[in-house]
Amino acid sequence: MSDDHKHAPMVDEVSEFEILEIAVRELAIEKGLFTQEDHNTWTEYMHTLGPLPAARLVAKAWLDPEFKKLAVEDGVKASLEVGIDWVRTMPTRFGTPSDYCSFRVMEDTPTLKHVVVCTLCSCYPRPILGQSPEWYRTPNYRRRLVRWPRQVLSEFGLQLSEEVEVRVVDSNQKSRFVVLPVRPEGTEGWTEDQLTEIITRDCLIGVAVPKPGKTANDPRPVRKALKPYSH
Amino acid sequence: MSNKPIYDREHHVKKATGIGDPQCFAGEASPARFNVGDRVRVRDLPDLFYTRTQTYLRGTECTVSAVVYESPAAEDEAWDNTDQVEWFYSLVFRQSDLWPDYPQAFGGDTLETELPERWLESA
Repeated sequence: MSDDHKHAPMVDEVSEFEILEIAVRELAIEKGLFTQEDHNTWTEYMHTLGPLPAARLVAKAWLDPEFKKLAVEDGVKASLEVGIDWVRTMPTRFGTPSDYCSFRVMEDTPTLKHVVVCTLCSCYPRPILGQSPEWYRTPNYRRRLVRWPRQVLSEFGLQLSEEVEVRVVDSNQKSRFVVLPVRPEGTEGWTEDQLTEIITRDCLIGVAVPKPGKTANDPRPVRKALKPYSH
Repeated sequence: MSNKPIYDREHHVKKATGIGDPQCFAGEASPARFNVGDRVRVRDLPDLFYTRTQTYLRGTECTVSAVVYESPAAEDEAWDNTDQVEWFYSLVFRQSDLWPDYPQAFGGDTLETELPERWLESA
């Protein structure tokens, strides 16, 4: 074996932005703007947020045409109905962490399908949808969705006919977006709770459509190992 | 005594707390120059230092789908400059206008995004 053989690094590289975040955080703590304990509390809080409030918002909109109108016209006000206050939530009280208070609900129709991306960074309606999935933040998704939306949607298993207008929403300024999908057939007479279950995070980003029987907490396919190892 | 003006680093938090951003800038912009349905074109302005106007939109015609909110533009706000508040517009582009080789079979496909007024001119 040659001496110049290079080994893979033992740790992941830390990006400049991560170093910048640590530097700013430590300076803020040193200055007394907040404590490390505050920071831990809010980091933990941010990770408790998830897509359920947005799913409920969509379910309510499906059941109540008046609420749907409100959701499309004033998403911030409609969010209060599902317990999300975009404005007065700590820690900033003028927009939840790193987000602004302009929230837009994009309504799909049978001939119009919205799908959301942020080409410039990774803007995402975190207060109502939680942390974004890893793929949403990748340069691959961000640059390809605006350029080849149908191919990207196909990769997610969503193939749409020519009659459907695909509308990519590039979240580049202060608004944050969720998609209000079309209520699927086979859900007639369902309750709000039942409807909420089939509106998964991917449906709210727009890379999937809700289907009766397909919920976020479905049992995962488990395949038996070909060569099981017994202890 | 120094004549240096005192800069209030907390001017934004004082203004926006309990009201929200961009809500805290409501009423500060000049009347909106464009209305829903207007055809406009994205200007190709210099973008030294910072911008949030995507390169792929520059020079392309689009339709105003909504007049959304008032805010300083990102180019100013990045430097904590909030003097010039302007209207933001939601714009719908035809994909075939953005990408010359976009498949003709999907000619109806569109893209929606928001831009501040300074980046737009009548088409």
